Amino acid sequence: MVTYEEFADSRLAALLRYAVMLTGDPHQAEDLVQETMVRVQLHWRRVARADSPERYVRRMLTNQYIDWRRGSWMRRVLLRAEPDESVPVGTDHAQSSVDRDEIWSWLAGLPRRQRATLVLRYYEDLPDAEIADILGCAVGTVRSLISRALATLRTEYVEVCS
Amino acid sequence: MTENELRAAFVRHEVLTPPTGPLRAAIDRVVAVRRRRRQRLRAAGVALAVVGALGVGIPQFAPRPNSPDAPVVAGPSTRVPTGALNLLVLGLDTRADEAPPLADSVLIVHIPADRSRPYLISLPRDLEVDIPGLHRDKLNAAFAYGAGPEHPDRSKGYDLTRRVVADLTGVRIDAGVVLTFSAMRKVTDVLGGVEVCLPQQIRSVHTRRVFPAGCQRLDGSESMDLLRQRRGLPDGGQDRDRNAQRVVAGMVRRAGEKGMLTDPVQISRALVTVGPDLTVAGASLPDLLRVVPELASVEPVGLSLPVVDAVPRLRADPRAAPAFLDALREDRLDRWAAANPDGVTRLG
Repeated sequence: MVTYEEFADSRLAALLRYAVMLTGDPHQAEDLVQETMVRVQLHWRRVARADSPERYVRRMLTNQYIDWRRGSWMRRVLLRAEPDESVPVGTDHAQSSVDRDEIWSWLAGLPRRQRATLVLRYYEDLPDAEIADILGCAVGTVRSLISRALATLRTEYVEVCS
Repeated sequence: MTENELRAAFVRHEVLTPPTGPLRAAIDRVVAVRRRRRQRLRAAGVALAVVGALGVGIPQFAPRPNSPDAPVVAGPSTRVPTGALNLLVLGLDTRADEAPPLADSVLIVHIPADRSRPYLISLPRDLEVDIPGLHRDKLNAAFAYGAGPEHPDRSKGYDLTRRVVADLTGVRIDAGVVLTFSAMRKVTDVLGGVEVCLPQQIRSVHTRRVFPAGCQRLDGSESMDLLRQRRGLPDGGQDRDRNAQRVVAGMVRRAGEKGMLTDPVQISRALVTVGPDLTVAGASLPDLLRVVPELASVEPVGLSLPVVDAVPRLRADPRAAPAFLDALREDRLDRWAAANPDGVTRLG
């Protein structure tokens, strides 16, 4: 059975990247991962018994992100008076980077479940069945979440470009 | 097209990802703090039940009900109760960060009608019980179910636990005390330590402190450490319950030595110190406390409900428990104890 240390050695960086994609902000991502991984470590035996500990942890982290009203991490983040350093880094392709940043800020306005679904499919490249498992919903729901998100994105994208 | 733009946006922002080193360290720090807090609170739960039992030992000069500082609430009655009395003492494990609190120490203090001496009866926290309106669960969970998850209501937690205990034992509970964190250390400070007599050596798995067999004086943190020990004891949680009884016996003895049992100033100071950490249910505790001077001896007798293993929980022993509970209900524990010397905890 994998130990917590081995799990953290191999998966912490990937989870942190995933949290950055969910929150769009490195500080919020750190807080989200910290809160989740504290619980993971305290309940490691239960986590390790899961068929796939990684998916189990990803589900914990995703739920924590979606249920921010009930959790404490968002409150803590919002109350913390640190300057926002989440300004995206630039690229050489000035105009195209502007377009891409439009997408990034558009993502920030999405409902959390929709954003999580997009991250899981287009960043983590997971099959719909696994996304459904992580979100705890039906595969059909995953597909409708994605198509709804893409539909609004296309509308806004057209507006931005024209 | 849109999908590719999305993929590109995600990948481009990977550079926002902070390094994992400091985060890893922060996670370990928080885990260490939460583990320590859990252990401390669990120990406190046991310890505080002990303090509650001590409360029964202290009291003939307890503040009058109309005294503003009185930590115990009561009507103006001055009636001294007659007959056998049962006081339910719950030691609370207040896990501050998450779940509603569990009652990890459940103790019945039985005062017989002949006022010979108090009996301390431990009910193991892992005992499987019927929780009214719910399902079978461990005894310590009844408090949490009653208190509720959001803003735990201690009096409701106490009420549900009292019903469970009354159903289980068939005993009428006359009053009760719920104790929370921090009172143990305060009272131990007031007492200036407590003498505890152990039948065998115990090594703390938490601090590696060794408690030798025989009698020893323990300060607040040492007695907390002792009461925290469950793993590694031959009988686990039940041995811990017995140690709790031993600490109670030591505290009552110590209170007697210090003259606390007859000094109203010391008593009221102790009660005011413990006051805010003490919740009392049933309005007649001062009446109950007035019983204490009638006792021929305050040296308690430690007993436990006979149980059998039903992994992962415990059940009342179908052969031994009925006779024990009959004796408790019919107020003849003295004869039961004489006939079952193995069932009596060696306290001295």
